Amino acid sequence: MSKRIVKFRVNGEEVELAVEPHWTLLEALREELDLTGTKEGCSEGVCGSCTVLVDGAPVRACLTLALEVEGREILTVEGLGGPDGLDPLQRAFIERGAVQCGFCTSGMLMAAKGLLLENPNPSQEDIKRALAGNICRCTGYIKIIEAVEEAASLSPTPIHESR
Amino acid sequence: MPEYSYIGKRMPRIDSLAKVTGAAKYTADLKFPRMLVGKVLRSPLPHARILNIDASRALRLPGVKAVVTGKDTYGEKWGVFRYTQDQMFLPLDKVRYFGEEVAAVAATDEDTALEALELIKVDYEELPAVFDPMEAIAPGAPLIHDDFPQNINIHVHIEVGDVEGGFAKSYLVREDTFTAAEESYFQGEPYAVVARFDLDGNLEIWMPNAGPHMKAKPLSNALRIPLHKVHVRKIAIGGAFGGRSEISPADFICALLARKTGRPVKIVYTREENTVCTRQGHSMIATIKTGVDKTGRVLARDVTCYMDGGAYSSTGPIATSVPFLCMEQAYKMDSVRYNGYRIYTNKPIRGMIRVHGRAFACGVDTQLDMIAEELGMDPVEIRLVNAREAGEYTPTRSYVASCAMKETILKAAEKARWKEKWGKLPKWRGIGIGCNSVQTGFPMGIRGGSQAIIKFNEDGGATVISGVVDNGQGNDNMLVQIAAEELGLRPEDIQLVTADTEVTPLDPGAYSQVSTFIGGQAVRLAAQDARKKLFQIAARALEAHPDDLVARDRMIFVKGVPHKGLPIQKVIRMGLSQGISVAGEGSYWPKVDPKREWVQNPYGQMCEAFSFGTTIAEVEVDPETGKVKVLEVVAAQDVGFALNPLVLEGQFQGAVAMGGQGGMLTEYHFWDGGRVMNPTQLEYKVPLAIDMPKIHTIIVESVDPKGPYGAKEAGMSIAMSAAQAYSAAICNAIGVYLKDYPLTPEKILKAIREKEEAGEKTHQ
Repeated sequence: MSKRIVKFRVNGEEVELAVEPHWTLLEALREELDLTGTKEGCSEGVCGSCTVLVDGAPVRACLTLALEVEGREILTVEGLGGPDGLDPLQRAFIERGAVQCGFCTSGMLMAAKGLLLENPNPSQEDIKRALAGNICRCTGYIKIIEAVEEAASLSPTPIHESR
Repeated sequence: MPEYSYIGKRMPRIDSLAKVTGAAKYTADLKFPRMLVGKVLRSPLPHARILNIDASRALRLPGVKAVVTGKDTYGEKWGVFRYTQDQMFLPLDKVRYFGEEVAAVAATDEDTALEALELIKVDYEELPAVFDPMEAIAPGAPLIHDDFPQNINIHVHIEVGDVEGGFAKSYLVREDTFTAAEESYFQGEPYAVVARFDLDGNLEIWMPNAGPHMKAKPLSNALRIPLHKVHVRKIAIGGAFGGRSEISPADFICALLARKTGRPVKIVYTREENTVCTRQGHSMIATIKTGVDKTGRVLARDVTCYMDGGAYSSTGPIATSVPFLCMEQAYKMDSVRYNGYRIYTNKPIRGMIRVHGRAFACGVDTQLDMIAEELGMDPVEIRLVNAREAGEYTPTRSYVASCAMKETILKAAEKARWKEKWGKLPKWRGIGIGCNSVQTGFPMGIRGGSQAIIKFNEDGGATVISGVVDNGQGNDNMLVQIAAEELGLRPEDIQLVTADTEVTPLDPGAYSQVSTFIGGQAVRLAAQDARKKLFQIAARALEAHPDDLVARDRMIFVKGVPHKGLPIQKVIRMGLSQGISVAGEGSYWPKVDPKREWVQNPYGQMCEAFSFGTTIAEVEVDPETGKVKVLEVVAAQDVGFALNPLVLEGQFQGAVAMGGQGGMLTEYHFWDGGRVMNPTQLEYKVPLAIDMPKIHTIIVESVDPKGPYGAKEAGMSIAMSAAQAYSAAICNAIGVYLKDYPLTPEKILKAIREKEEAGEKTHQ
């Protein structure tokens, strides 16, 4: 099969890649762009470790074809912190002890970011639901939920312009 | 208690920043120039003789750089113990489970590697297979290993006191059989290996591991290269839970492919491979007979346990013993007999997992509840009667120096408002308690001590060199806390060079509760050694006695006179200019009985300390669906001393999730013969955020005399007692003692129906 060209934005930068039609967004991010912060845990859309934001909404990069994101805006964990440093979510994850082995952390952060972009003041139940597609085997989720609550209370994220 | 700067404080982990920014590199993230992709061809049969492997077509496929089979190996067999060496990493004779490694390919890309696997032709002669341990042990069953009659891999026999006499004296004797299915780890990170050789024949290898030195030795043996040429490198690790302590065939195969091709090779397991081809928890049948006096005190216990070990021995003797050991530690028993059988079947290999034997632990506790009911006692009461106490010996003769088991029971019961709830909850609500104990600083007859080195930089910073690995639990932070505390530096002044077999001295690994107790202890001693050297230099300059000095916040000063001190940086430079070494060395070797052996002599001091934990769970059962809603959990553990309460709480919460929420409600494998039917997270249900109940964590500190700062293991006895507490609470809610784990809605519903039917019959 011959490669096709796809253009999209990742963490604010324009990229142009030649990809096989069957390559996933996850493969494009990890293998072609060396953005390995996005993890592959199950390859079938269950574990949530590969969660990235596409135009502000969380998607599974392992179930998304690279060609599907033509012209879209992708945010990965590497782009979560702005020029001023860490995102409040990242800071809260560190301070609340929400990180253990760290393999699910990127996906958790991106799923949480997606939630806060849509709903800056979520209830605990909202948070649990938003993270229900992300599996963590170490923490029992308690400190992750606390961290998202804290980040939400510290700095309500404004609703994303593109949404 | 001394006033510490960092020890005992809630300190966010130093490794978190790299993990929240995506900068932390895990094995699958590594990329090297000219790196090849490795893929493993696996057995499609549960038991078969390998007649021939023809890889010629695969080798002709463009992009394929090498194929390896058993013929490329030295035929070395792996076993954790000399007497359990039974596994070739690429077998020459036969395959023993569905999914076993048969051959492997290295190719320029994944698609080519996968295509090449299909071109390898393997001729098998299928052999009769056996999947049930009781069938495997029966006469006439097919033999999986020729030299293990009746497929008995390991038999552990322990006998202490007068068991029959104890039963004869007992007021009440019960015998019950409990069973549990296999469970899996489902670490976040699927297994992965990257290997490459340099021109001098040094192997560099990265993989998720729970002990780099424990990986290097078998690799050196299997590849026949000197141990000092095997360089297991540090890498971020996505969880272990007991499943990454041993060498994996993938480590060996990846190295073999790298050696054959002269190029770096990466193998990344699929989620299915991680489940089927690494390790699983044993399934188990445990028959427990217990005799008690009128007060509920256990006089005698006799346990026979059959464990399905799968195709190879793995940690067999340990895995067969630990379920018993945990319970002999947790509860007193004067006379006890244990017969543990680990039996080979044509199923995936079983190893150590966080909850050692659901059938055993929950069996012992369920039976205690049954006995308590017959005696008219409360479950808390009967546990207090039997709880282990400090200053005692376990039946197999380990001295228990520190123990706050009773305190964990009392504190958990108080927090859970046990007295208000027991027997008084509305229908379909239940409350239950579980108690457990876990070994700390446990050499296991296969590993020993740890050594550490501290060296300084001229800017006043220190580098800690230690073999301790962090596979998710926070060991890196633990080492930094200890070094900063002892050296009087700040955490940001400490650099780590750890978990690398080329640079770091020997270490027993980070599995089976050993890192803090042994590796942490070695770093503490090394830091104290370095501090002593700094004090000698500083003492001359300060015209003081070294014993009067303290190091704190980057300064060395005479006790009580902090303003007249010397910066540590200056003292380090004074050492340099005076030609005096200020580097520190520390070594810690656990003091255990070296004659104790799992099978030959299971008596004597096993490890230096034991943790004790109690979990209480409150649940609500839906009688229409059998579904369980967990309302609240209290987890209390004697951790000796909490080095970092923030980390400990996370360990407790994670332990409740894996041991209780997953381990007792949803997690188990189901089978079609030797084939796992739920190898992925789609069908194997691990707990999610929405499933988690409110968890109260209670840290109890007994301050162990030998633990670093008094610390012991943290979290494991919660994982185990959580399984027991969940089970007890569900039984309490439905009024039936369930004996087959986990407690799925189908089993709960069936028990409710049977109870109702029996009730109707008695009314008729």
